[in-house]
Amino acid sequence: MTSAPENSPGDPTKQGKLYSSALAALEGISNDATVLVAGFAGCGIPQKLLRGLAESGVSGLTLICQGAWIQEPGDFTVADLVGSGQVKKMISPMPFHPVHGGAVKEQWESGELEIEIVSQGVLAERLRAGGAGIGGVFLPSSSGTRFAEGKEVRQYDGCEHVLELALKADFALLRAQAADTLGNMVYDGTARNWNPTMAMAAGVTVVEVDAVHHPGGIDPELVITQAIFIDRLVLSD
Amino acid sequence: MPGTHLEPASVAQRVSQELFSGAVVALGPGLPCYLPDALPDTSGVWFIADSGALGSKGGEAHGSAVDAGENSASLLSGGSFTGVVDVAGILRGGHTDIAVLQPSQVAANGDFVHWTSEETAGLFAPGSAVDMAYGAATVIAVMPHQYPGGRSNIVSQCSLPVDGAGRVNIIITDVSVIKVTAAGLELVETAPGWTAEEIIAITDAPLTVSSDLKGMTFNVPTLEPTNKVYSSAIEALSDVLEGSIINVDGFAGPGGMAHYLMVGLRDLGVKKLQLISNTAGVARVSAFGVPNIIDHSILVENNQVVKATASYPVSPSASRPSAFEEAYNRGETELEVVPQGTLAERLRSGGAGVAAFYTPTGAGTLLGEGKEARIIDGKDYILETGLRADFCIIRGYKADTLGNVVYKGTSRNFNPVMATAAEITVVEVDEIVEPGQLGPEEIVTPGLFVNRIVVRPADFSAYLEI
Amino acid sequence: MESLADKERLPREIMAMRVAKELPDGSYVNLGIGIPTMVSSFVPEGRTVFYHSESGILNCGPLAEEGNEDIDLINAGGQYLEPVGGMSFFDSAEAFAMIRGGHVDVTVLGSHQVSATGDLANWMLPQRGVGNVGGAMDLATGASGVIVAMEHTDRNGEPKIVQECTFPLTGKGCVYLIVTDLAVIECDGQGLTLKEVAPGWTPEEVQQLTGAKLTISPDIREFEL
Repeated sequence: MTSAPENSPGDPTKQGKLYSSALAALEGISNDATVLVAGFAGCGIPQKLLRGLAESGVSGLTLICQGAWIQEPGDFTVADLVGSGQVKKMISPMPFHPVHGGAVKEQWESGELEIEIVSQGVLAERLRAGGAGIGGVFLPSSSGTRFAEGKEVRQYDGCEHVLELALKADFALLRAQAADTLGNMVYDGTARNWNPTMAMAAGVTVVEVDAVHHPGGIDPELVITQAIFIDRLVLSD
Repeated sequence: MPGTHLEPASVAQRVSQELFSGAVVALGPGLPCYLPDALPDTSGVWFIADSGALGSKGGEAHGSAVDAGENSASLLSGGSFTGVVDVAGILRGGHTDIAVLQPSQVAANGDFVHWTSEETAGLFAPGSAVDMAYGAATVIAVMPHQYPGGRSNIVSQCSLPVDGAGRVNIIITDVSVIKVTAAGLELVETAPGWTAEEIIAITDAPLTVSSDLKGMTFNVPTLEPTNKVYSSAIEALSDVLEGSIINVDGFAGPGGMAHYLMVGLRDLGVKKLQLISNTAGVARVSAFGVPNIIDHSILVENNQVVKATASYPVSPSASRPSAFEEAYNRGETELEVVPQGTLAERLRSGGAGVAAFYTPTGAGTLLGEGKEARIIDGKDYILETGLRADFCIIRGYKADTLGNVVYKGTSRNFNPVMATAAEITVVEVDEIVEPGQLGPEEIVTPGLFVNRIVVRPADFSAYLEI
Repeated sequence: MESLADKERLPREIMAMRVAKELPDGSYVNLGIGIPTMVSSFVPEGRTVFYHSESGILNCGPLAEEGNEDIDLINAGGQYLEPVGGMSFFDSAEAFAMIRGGHVDVTVLGSHQVSATGDLANWMLPQRGVGNVGGAMDLATGASGVIVAMEHTDRNGEPKIVQECTFPLTGKGCVYLIVTDLAVIECDGQGLTLKEVAPGWTPEEVQQLTGAKLTISPDIREFEL
């Protein structure tokens, strides 16, 4: 059963999507929220939004992200958010650098932080499924490993496939090079990483961008993430 | 006294000997990232970094590009960028020939543990290694032979949970080359200054010594890009066999349709084709086209089609039937009707190594009958399977000689999806350009999905003479 | 019945206008072929609606002027579009990820039949033996809201709103609003409520041409535009 969408002309998520600050753009986020954070290694991390999340003071967060592998001086990453005690769980394929460690490793060792390891391709596919209305997918890669334990397994083409269920979150924090005011986005190089997939898979999608153009300012052939997935924009510092 | 341990660059040179012209190579973090630097930029080898760089190389950085090991990276001319989910599809979907990984442990049976050590026991860092090792035909483990402190990284059995079961084929370390065989590990090469006995002494797994034991060498092979440009549609499709399954785009209208390749397929006359396509040829009988536009009908009328898998198989108007509908009504063709979104998702799945998926579309309808039904989180779903073809004929706007393709406007539709889901993908374009002339952010279909390119001749007409 | 069959009904433009009133400001909308396509011409002033099409375009512009047709810029109905700033292109997998993933707020579809519980049957007439499902099932299942715009009866005067669909279903219980040339009817998954009738028509007359029981809304009124 579908229903009539709310007609709320004052809804800022549908009117101009540009917000004045990270904190304003994160309005509605609550304790215990599940949050997708884009970024791969040091690339394409929504630092201003993460600072906003720290400032908001919400706690008990579950973060779904690539991990906290590196930390350049002056950077603000998920490790800082973990360090401030706001995170109770991380779902990640590479949560911290095995040698360099950091706040994530310390809190995991002390038992303050729960970590769920999901192989990178499985995590990406689960998020895409969540965003694309797919309930679950049978994937072959983790056959015979601990990632298959306790899950339904079926044979296709003579090899084992593992059922992985769709994953969605309350918020997604993304980073793009440029957007138009409608929310069409482009990225720079490998800063694309998790952004297009995470954009689909959250209730509220917030993007930190370096530049905002009027509609038409981005070549329609180059748009990677379409406006339909984007709720809020905030300019980076 | 054993020799010294090889530098990463030397190990990379040895690894390069395992590559071949046109190889698509997935690189994990760590030592594998040295590999692109070992080869000249003109080698034609595609390096895939799970960061989303396709065609990455070492050296100076592109503005915002990193390789799998978080190092700044640049792209080869003709390289492009994509997101993590598409990289996973490339890896899992069998589009890579070789995966090069740096495991922390490899066992005698080819099991490996990726980037996890005893310091972090209980916590594991699979990254993309699980997908890389699964999807590649050959998996090369590149690693120091020993852990700092002297313990062997090559073991009888992994002491930590594995990231890939029995996946490793070759181990190349800083002192040796070891093959993983059904009978166990076989030492085939040793580094300068090392004897087989010295290698055995520092290896914590049974090692047989090859009767053909050699010294490691570091010369880099001469590789060249594969030629993908064909002179005509007929030449590009000459090996299509009777009974082949063929992906054909043609959302409906004339824009995204490979008319020239369709004519080639008709002229070849190959029979019993099974088409996977959004329509089974309606452009001639719908508002999209005009009566003499070329569409799938030319194949149907030539008695070449025995089945269509389509979402929009027949004319919108029963009084103006298409050639396919007439053949279907005569009992000459089979038809599988698939909702359009399910068709797109089945093809995407076929290309991305997703065997099957649960979709809500079609649950409780005629098209859901006979399919597994499942309730997930209170919602009805049915199970649909991935779809792959033998050949794919698609229509691009421009391609470079490496097979990178861009499209135009709404003529993109099924083309990029289908390109990933066939053994041989042939693209018809208006123009072929040199690598580098299509921007890395602009490329929609990366060349690693494309096997053959033909130019639609300037004098080719998409209209039949009547 | 003779007199009802001859009685004047609303033109398609008025139906499209009535549907347009339902589209919220800032919403993402997919319009099916036929009457639904006309809806975009009647969106009330001051509202912005973004159109999605399965051909792989978001933020479709208006239909192209004659002489401006570009075969690489079409909607799912094969009509040529004008380029507009802020449009974007994507492939079919992405187009349907948007639909199935619930990112499209409203779809407006034509139909052969709609049932009392909001089942939709619009892709196949059994007598033809074959049908074009196209994107209809994905839209019916995936869009957040499904509005049906259709004639109240078929060519033979038979009701298209029925107790249970006899034609193959497109989606179960997916329709929340039906706009016909006689009436506006709400579906809540349990039954149908008659909210508005065309000028000159009584609720009883509409009920006579409807194959399912209509509950008459306490605030029933004439078509409001």
